[in-house]
Amino acid sequence: MTDSNQLVAKVRGLVSNQASILLGVLAVLTIVFTALEPKFFSIATANNILTDWGSVVLIAVGQTFVVISGGIDLSVGAIIGLSGVVSAYFMANILGKTSATPADQAYGPLLLGALVSVAVGAFVGLINAVLINKARIVPFIATLATMGAALGLSVIFSSGMPISGPNDFNLIGALDYNWNPFSVAVIIVALVVAVTGLFLHKSRFGLYTYAIGSNAFAARAAGINVERHITKIYVLSGALSGLAGIYVYMRLGSGSPSSGTGRELDAIAAVVIGGASLMGGIGRMWGTVLGTLILFTVQSGLIMIGVAPDWKKVVVAILIAAAVAAQTLQNKNGRR
Amino acid sequence: MAGEVIYEVKNVSKRYGSVVALDGASLKLHAGEVIGLVGDNGAGKSTLVKVLSGAHKPDGGQIFLDGAERSWDSPRDALEAGIETLYQDSGLAPHLTVSQNVFLGRERVKKGILGWFGFLAKKDMEHEAHRNLEEVGIAVPASNRSVSQLSGGQRQAVAIGRSVAWARKVIILDEPTNHLGARQAGEVLQIIKAAKKKGLGVIFISHTLPHVLEVTDRIVVLRLGRIVKDAPTSEFDGDTLVGTITGTIQTIKVEGD
Repeated sequence: MTDSNQLVAKVRGLVSNQASILLGVLAVLTIVFTALEPKFFSIATANNILTDWGSVVLIAVGQTFVVISGGIDLSVGAIIGLSGVVSAYFMANILGKTSATPADQAYGPLLLGALVSVAVGAFVGLINAVLINKARIVPFIATLATMGAALGLSVIFSSGMPISGPNDFNLIGALDYNWNPFSVAVIIVALVVAVTGLFLHKSRFGLYTYAIGSNAFAARAAGINVERHITKIYVLSGALSGLAGIYVYMRLGSGSPSSGTGRELDAIAAVVIGGASLMGGIGRMWGTVLGTLILFTVQSGLIMIGVAPDWKKVVVAILIAAAVAAQTLQNKNGRR
Repeated sequence: MAGEVIYEVKNVSKRYGSVVALDGASLKLHAGEVIGLVGDNGAGKSTLVKVLSGAHKPDGGQIFLDGAERSWDSPRDALEAGIETLYQDSGLAPHLTVSQNVFLGRERVKKGILGWFGFLAKKDMEHEAHRNLEEVGIAVPASNRSVSQLSGGQRQAVAIGRSVAWARKVIILDEPTNHLGARQAGEVLQIIKAAKKKGLGVIFISHTLPHVLEVTDRIVVLRLGRIVKDAPTSEFDGDTLVGTITGTIQTIKVEGD
């Protein structure tokens, strides 16, 4: 009797846990798509989904910090394009390495390119922070402005054409198409996500992020330098977007000005599906990781069962709306 | 009754544009003393509180802590000097746990390299937060519950308990009994008495005059930016206090020192 009660309590606990709900959704999606198209359940599909996941989860992780702090960062997609073309230009024209460079000589330049890419992203993040803190522009408008500026600059910088450079495509391919869908690049991304996740949930940096999103006035009264922390958060979001920029570059073998266009929508969708509140103060790193995975499982699945790719954006939009509606209902029921 | 003068402002003034919010106010607070700060809306209470808590710099006048002249550039300065301020209704972050709120801005980090990266000693803080709150007579169910799950009274108790636990010299409470039921307000007044017993100087700002009369040793009445009366609480009853606040009772103005 007691045992069954404990079991019921345990199941209740599991269901109310956001991560288990998201895992459940992921499992159901996988089963449904496999039933509709048996080829869906394969290492190749898993590799596709993971590769897409890698390009968006980084900006979604940055977005998680921003959203928990009560802000929003619309510039993340544009930063992918800008940092991609700038680092491609750097590798091709300054380091003198081109797409003809042998793959085994590409690692050094790629590492330097990654640093440039992250620096470009962090710089845009810093501009966001200045606009928000000094000019007192609300985050939505401030990052909308830098998004436009970054998109424009990346087109000007590249004359609208992709800039190709050195690469090793093996880094982005599955380690073993028979059993291991992960690529070297995805593993690196996963490690970055894990470390930032620890900082969000275990460190002072994360605590202040929640505190500011929860009640900025109380945070300030407790002696927290709110402006400085906001600056750090937007610089982090920019830097992670820059890292996503070099990832996308490695995927394409070139820096393309439009390579991140619209990705901010994916990032916001992933964060919201993961259970974060756009009002601030609520959100989990696990939620964002699984939210991104769900997003691309849906997108891959739809394409594989024959839905036209143009429907992707519509589906993302529906997912955002559904996730926010679910949150609102949950809050009405007195749960958070 | 009370100990030495710990906190003092002399002749402080503050104007916002052409509006004089505070006009040569002087105030002495002793250790182990509770001062009630009362006045109508616009009398200058919140301006005086902001000057005392370091949120605003006065245009003129001096501030002394333990006899030494000080100047606050930010609330953080005052906080570090031992002055805790609790603003009305906004002292806590609702999404954080009780212990996270108690330690907010003063987190304990882990030892070694993890601490260098700012990783938090969560368990330590949970235990200590619980103990700190119990010390001032607050029994909070669990320090790892989020504050939004507490009742309004429990929330306020946690907020004040935090201030009392951390304050080393002075604690400023801005309308701490607002929106509370009678029993909960009574608990808050109990905590104020505990703070007094700890030897802290307490500045209690409230519109609820019976609470002021119950818990304070001295009452300071502000009107139109000036301190019009500063006298032991025993000299007031409900009627004379209201009269002094509204100005229907004439007060003798004492100019400067």
